[in-house]
Amino acid sequence: MIYTPRALIAEITHSCPLHCVYCSNPLELQRRSAELSTEDWISIFQQARELGVLQLHLTGGEPLSRSDLTELVRAGRKAHLYVNLITSGVGLDGARLDQLIEAGLDHIQLSFQDTEEGSANEFAGTRSHALKLRVAGAIRERRIAFTINLVVHRRNVDRLGEMLTFAEHSGAQRLEIAHVQYYGWALRNREALLPTREQLDRSMEILEAARERLKGRLRIDFVLPDYYAKYPKPCMNGWGHQQILIDPAGRVLPCHAASVIPGLEFSSARERPLRWIWEESPAFNRFRDESWMPEPCRSCDRRTRDFGGCRCQAFLLAGDAAATDPVCTLAPTHTIVEETLRRVNGSDSRSWVYRIDPA
Amino acid sequence: MSELGPDSVLRLAPGCRLSAAGESDGESEDLLLIPEGALRLKGPARAIVELCDGQRAMREIAEELKRRYPSADALRIETEVGALLARLRDQGVLEAV
Repeated sequence: MIYTPRALIAEITHSCPLHCVYCSNPLELQRRSAELSTEDWISIFQQARELGVLQLHLTGGEPLSRSDLTELVRAGRKAHLYVNLITSGVGLDGARLDQLIEAGLDHIQLSFQDTEEGSANEFAGTRSHALKLRVAGAIRERRIAFTINLVVHRRNVDRLGEMLTFAEHSGAQRLEIAHVQYYGWALRNREALLPTREQLDRSMEILEAARERLKGRLRIDFVLPDYYAKYPKPCMNGWGHQQILIDPAGRVLPCHAASVIPGLEFSSARERPLRWIWEESPAFNRFRDESWMPEPCRSCDRRTRDFGGCRCQAFLLAGDAAATDPVCTLAPTHTIVEETLRRVNGSDSRSWVYRIDPA
Repeated sequence: MSELGPDSVLRLAPGCRLSAAGESDGESEDLLLIPEGALRLKGPARAIVELCDGQRAMREIAEELKRRYPSADALRIETEVGALLARLRDQGVLEAV
């Protein structure tokens, strides 16, 4: 089976003015001095297009903290890619927005942490909410595709109704409500962030009703907390099937969390052609087909739909990247997830820890 | 959302664009790039979307298609143009002006 990558997730920096308690970036962030140059990225965009990539997601960290962002957007378009900016908005004003649009930016995804300023700033670990509102206003005044992303968790999911009203009047065409996923820093703060089952059920009802009400005006996508799911998510639509992620230092990964898996050597785009890494490298081939699968995945009808779930989560929760994702109710290690949920549903929220920025 | 009719005028929504000629290098398909990914356009679909320029009404788009495909059944062209455009509008890819 030959796979064609369709999206390149370019983490152009790990530097970020926000310190979100649920940051899913790796615990070990890449330093600024190790970052790829403008020329490195331009070469990567061209190689990615030649491989079949259609979409470029510029993310981080905060991509705006790179002064060559406009140049990178232009290079992405020149390589015939659809260019999406995933941003906190910190560092964006009308003038810079005009530059980015002029360079060919196709789409902006702006994050919010809450609709209530005090809480939003608390979750972000920085006073950024008021600024984000100004940025949303500037985006609304221009003709550019706009998605709002709101990460929800135990401490803000009860304000989902207000979040939907906010998004409805924001000028965005699309709203992404994403429950926290427990990777990177977020895993450290898991027990403070996981919603209760009651919160989750209520949020689903609100979302379904809003989807119906806002049909044709605001598209709503949501990511469920997979801890509560019956079956795992089809993580990245399969390991090395559709997406490539490149970290700030040029390390090429199948997803943003994969560097936690021990024993895998991820090649650098500085040292190898992207085509070799995608097609030939052992790391990209490690979980690509079904040969790694244990039971119950191996004989499961769902294996072609969810690919056994997430390899990183299997490692983080069960200590084995080649195990069935423990969130699957059929997994022999599912008790790990059940115990976590029991604790979360039976206790008050815990406190969390903030991360600091790389040097 | 209002119903589309023969007088409706459509254009691509922000963040949606056709891949330029030559961009689909080597691939025989035409792509419509959208925020969530890409849609494959088959047969005359690309031409129909191109005609959604914010000027022409749906009626005129169907007329243009009839001119381009004189041997095709006229009623069928109207039905298929209407169905494609309604679907793309519902997906948020096209917007009424």
